[in-house]
Amino acid sequence: MRASWRDTLLSYAFLAPAIILLGLFTFYPLAYGTFLGFTQYDGARFAQGLGPKWVGLDNFRALIADPLFLTSLWNSVRYLLVVPLLQLASLAVAVLVNRELPAMPFFRAAYYVPVITTITATAVMWDWIYNKEGTLNWVLSGLHLLPQGAAFGWLNNEQTAFWAVMLVTFWRGFGYYMVLYLAGLQSIPAELEEAARLDGASSWQRFWRITVPMMRPTILLCSLLSTIAALRVLEEPLVLTQGGPLNSTYTALMYVYSKAFQGFNFDYGLASAAGLVVAVVALLLSLANFRLFRDSTGEQA
Amino acid sequence: MKTPRLIALGLTLALGTAAAQQPVELQFWTWYLSPKFDNYIKSTIDAFQKANPGITVKWFDKQDSMVQDFISSVNLGGAPDVINLNIDETAKAAQNGFLRDVGSLTPMATLTATYYPQSIKNFSTGGKVYGYPWYGWLNEGVMLYNPDLFKKAGVTRVPRTTSELLTLAKTVKDKTGAYAWVPALKDPNTASFLGYFYAEGLPIYDASGKAAFNTAQHAALLQQYVNLYKGGYIPEDAIRREAFQVATELYAQNRVALIVGGPQALTRIKDANPGLYGKTQVTEAPLGKAGVQTGGSMDLVVPTASKHPAEAAKLAAFFTNNANQIAFAKVVPVVPTTRAAQTDALFKAGGTDPIAKATGLVGASGRYINPGYAAPTNSDDLYKNLNDNIEAALLGKKTAQVALNDAVAYWNANMKK
Repeated sequence: MRASWRDTLLSYAFLAPAIILLGLFTFYPLAYGTFLGFTQYDGARFAQGLGPKWVGLDNFRALIADPLFLTSLWNSVRYLLVVPLLQLASLAVAVLVNRELPAMPFFRAAYYVPVITTITATAVMWDWIYNKEGTLNWVLSGLHLLPQGAAFGWLNNEQTAFWAVMLVTFWRGFGYYMVLYLAGLQSIPAELEEAARLDGASSWQRFWRITVPMMRPTILLCSLLSTIAALRVLEEPLVLTQGGPLNSTYTALMYVYSKAFQGFNFDYGLASAAGLVVAVVALLLSLANFRLFRDSTGEQA
Repeated sequence: MKTPRLIALGLTLALGTAAAQQPVELQFWTWYLSPKFDNYIKSTIDAFQKANPGITVKWFDKQDSMVQDFISSVNLGGAPDVINLNIDETAKAAQNGFLRDVGSLTPMATLTATYYPQSIKNFSTGGKVYGYPWYGWLNEGVMLYNPDLFKKAGVTRVPRTTSELLTLAKTVKDKTGAYAWVPALKDPNTASFLGYFYAEGLPIYDASGKAAFNTAQHAALLQQYVNLYKGGYIPEDAIRREAFQVATELYAQNRVALIVGGPQALTRIKDANPGLYGKTQVTEAPLGKAGVQTGGSMDLVVPTASKHPAEAAKLAAFFTNNANQIAFAKVVPVVPTTRAAQTDALFKAGGTDPIAKATGLVGASGRYINPGYAAPTNSDDLYKNLNDNIEAALLGKKTAQVALNDAVAYWNANMKK
């Protein structure tokens, strides 16, 4: 009995550092952020040493009445279009590079380079591509896909800027998910593939009947991660377009960022409320992801 | 009874002396000055420490995260003692109660004897001064131009007014394919267009302090820029990127004929295209109908949370005194904001080198530094709204008049009282 108590205590002692860190850096900020969403807490109160003042749902009413917030939220939801493209492409490329060929380590590394490239370097490079006199227009003109004199700055046009920024997100995220899928693929037992091959299954059949079902947990994880990442996209529009033109690339996180951290007029209350709305949307979409990846027997992936 | 009293008095005096001699460490934050100006900042700090034994200065150069870092440090009880801000940020910080009234730290008579009246006004909010004016710049300080592009365009006389400049924009583009110049249309975190209105003698606020930049004259001026933008006479990137950056990049590539601004543009051109720098001509910049300059400036402020305000004020006054502002102007072509600078020999040297010529033209003009409008309360929201409306007009989504009407309505509804 004594030994069992000691074991229990020891288990909790091992767990304690992680629980304390989670509490300090995850649960406490989450709870405090939620609380702030229902308060008035801005630069003037802060400077006077006054704490947050409870205002109920006022911040949420202000958000609903602010066209900029609604536009930013809509842009963030639209940004989710990148998720299926990103997942399909990274899974397909992971399948391609999951072969023991001499050049494969190079390709795996090359696809991962955008993930570790700084946003500043990324912005400069894509600016050269998207500029009116940039490489994209040059290529399109060379292929006669863009009429003479019709060149335009892809980031300066409200019809194209959103998609142009999204492509940069796709480019930056692609390698990350590819590595996750690669890890998932390499955990599939080789005997299964071997047996299917001996049974005469084509590569397409093996992909749909073995790879996809076995990869379901990885697909779910990657979908969740990329859904949340797409909803809180900030860096790309911030450095490439500053949310323009005409707020067509202004995302919800840009709104939160500008309200919380811009200048001395900051408004932590409103920013926290906006952050809460984004978190709720993310939560709902995560639940949808879980439902979507449930297998046919109703069992969770 | 006498002895204990004497002992007490002695102890009090001893403690008082010890307190007076207590060494003080000041935290000094600058904004985007390191590493380029490390030598200047460090040598000035050394000189200050030598002149003020007992005070040591710990210098940090802050960049993007200056405001967030400041707020965090206030929260954690370790606020800096002297911070380098600009006109807008000073107004915002003062409006929210983050700064000490400089007039309570340095006699007003000293301030007015040291700095230009307009410079003091630039850093005043609600009738109080919140910053020691430091270096500045003029938006219309000088005009530098590429004589080859002017010749190709058949331009024989440099523009003297904004109106002539707007006309020149078409001529240069039509005849050379290069842009004439890059106006600041939508710089982030500020409201460039208000400066254009001021330069043309148009009001920003009415007598009661309400926004009033939507008269027919305001709209007509905006419309001129809209026409140029729609006609392809202004680079498209000017709505997305800082005009100064676009202008210096394109000028160095022979794709922009002139730059209106400070001598600092020449430093970049000298690095990017030394051949073109050698050819570049420098002259006075065209002005609007009001005949005034606009510009910006930095200052040094003392936060309310500083634990050593008296010593902080000493440091701020030392860095911004005439000798040290002139010394800074020798390192980089900035415009000093001290009264004594206008008679300094440095700005009378002249010469044929473009930077020297430009410095001579603008260096002694600190008295003209004026953004042209006082930052409203809640300025971040209001500037964004104005910039969005200017953009909508440039992209043809609103007429110039509707864009300005919408901005004025928003300003008047959202300026915090």
